[in-house]
Amino acid sequence: MMKIEKVVAKFYEGLEQHKLLGRKCPECGAIEYPPRYACNTCGYHATEWVELSGKGMLHSVITPATLNADPWNDKIGPYCYGLVELEEGPMFNCTVFGIKRKQAKLLRDKLPIPVHAIFAERDGFTTVFFEVDELPK
Amino acid sequence: MVKGKLGKYSRSVSIIGIGATPFCDTSEIPEYRGLTEGEFFGHAALMAMEDAGLEPRDVDYFYHGSANPKFFNNAATPNMQVAEWFGMRGKGSIHHSEACCSGYVGLEEAVMDVASGAHDIVLSGCVEMSCGLPVAGKPAHIRRPITTDEMIPDLEAIMDRAYTRALGGGHIGQDDWMDLYRQQYGLTDDQIDLVLNTMSYHGRRAAALNPLAMLRTPFEELAKEAGYDDPMEYLSSPFNPKTTMYLRVTGNAQSADGAACCIVCPTEMAHKFKQKPVEILGIGSSCLELMRPHNEMEITKEAARQAYEQTGLTPDDIDLLLVNDFVLASQLCAAEEVGYLPRGEGWKWVLEGRTAFDGDRPINPHGGRTSYGHAYGASGMADVYEAVLQLRGQAGLHQVKNNPKTAMLRGFGGGQNCRIPILRVLD
Repeated sequence: MMKIEKVVAKFYEGLEQHKLLGRKCPECGAIEYPPRYACNTCGYHATEWVELSGKGMLHSVITPATLNADPWNDKIGPYCYGLVELEEGPMFNCTVFGIKRKQAKLLRDKLPIPVHAIFAERDGFTTVFFEVDELPK
Repeated sequence: MVKGKLGKYSRSVSIIGIGATPFCDTSEIPEYRGLTEGEFFGHAALMAMEDAGLEPRDVDYFYHGSANPKFFNNAATPNMQVAEWFGMRGKGSIHHSEACCSGYVGLEEAVMDVASGAHDIVLSGCVEMSCGLPVAGKPAHIRRPITTDEMIPDLEAIMDRAYTRALGGGHIGQDDWMDLYRQQYGLTDDQIDLVLNTMSYHGRRAAALNPLAMLRTPFEELAKEAGYDDPMEYLSSPFNPKTTMYLRVTGNAQSADGAACCIVCPTEMAHKFKQKPVEILGIGSSCLELMRPHNEMEITKEAARQAYEQTGLTPDDIDLLLVNDFVLASQLCAAEEVGYLPRGEGWKWVLEGRTAFDGDRPINPHGGRTSYGHAYGASGMADVYEAVLQLRGQAGLHQVKNNPKTAMLRGFGGGQNCRIPILRVLD
């Protein structure tokens, strides 16, 4: 029988242990995050598990408003949306905590700034967001 | 991302007929209240046949697109539920659903079908009744109003369910490209606001002249009612509040009920019919999930590259651009990305009115999603309808002034599907 590998469940199990998992392409070396079977950088058919540091840089700051706010996030603290680049390479949009709306515009000229992964319990599963290391003065 | 390659069609394909309903809220218009998906699609389909000079018996196959037939129409077999309204009982058909990109994908499907030789005369139509919801246990003419509380959770359905929703990566789309543009070209927030409001203003000017458009009251009138002499002052006032970091109420699409259709055939047959044929020269295609960086920009770039490479055309060959602008900023950002406006300078062209329907570089002469209205899956086909009308010179009061021969459409939807067709009118 052909084995069908569980990737989504394993990723969320990793988050429960506060581990951030990705997959590395054995051919081009690119990291798939979040993890999937194949490489979407070079189009190779396979990838292998790799643990990621959760450290990265924030490249943009979009403040939430009426149309795109997620009220659940307020439980954790002030947040924005932004583009994060992990130190291992992958770039993705995500939710970033530790930025008050009033600070967001001042941050524009200081980007990119360092961020790290934070883990949060949400309705029966653990998820991952990012948080700024410290706000530039 | 992994790039694609677009080849030449096995045979050239042209649009020979178009049809469209008005975009409107049927519940607010007594003569339209109670009309159903089947009647809307059927009307647009029969109109397209009449436009071409065809009868239903002449059409070999049809495509049906809508963004969300289960939610808005409680239908899992929507193509079957419209087929008999326009005399195609027993003929082959298919339903497809690519969110707000469905209309452009519907054109692509029909073109690939005819180009392959499978069928000669193919109809492609799209419908969405976005202003209301079906009522359980009642026939289709009975609908109820939709609330924001019902709509917002359903929008999540466009995001990847394994990761994007849970990881909070899908909420950036409305502002992402405009913010990147601001970073790249150093615009102030006030300049961005002025550019977006200018687009709103000119879109409404065009829609006021377009009998199919939904919001047709000029901003001059709305401003006066609110106590402003200057429509631009009104647009930047608390009467038009921000709904995202950059977009005001007038920068968001207005939900509509609507349907639109086109009919295609091999170009070698196209001159037999009633109208000047409009050839589909090529359709670039690219898709990226919402978590991917600057996904709208990246797929627009890639789909445009394919379309230009395959057709051998350059941006100088394009006389008219239609952009899915359910996020109004896309008008400007996409127009620069496909080379229709000069990079970093397009915002000045907008302010000078050059991208208005009566400017020298027209964009969205039907009014755009924010004034024409947005019937989700049907809007892309309404863009096709408008492009063909303009290329034939039949747009009436909102006809563009630069005698266009070649049009590009920047199709986009679901925040992640892109199609870029290039159309050219034949003599």
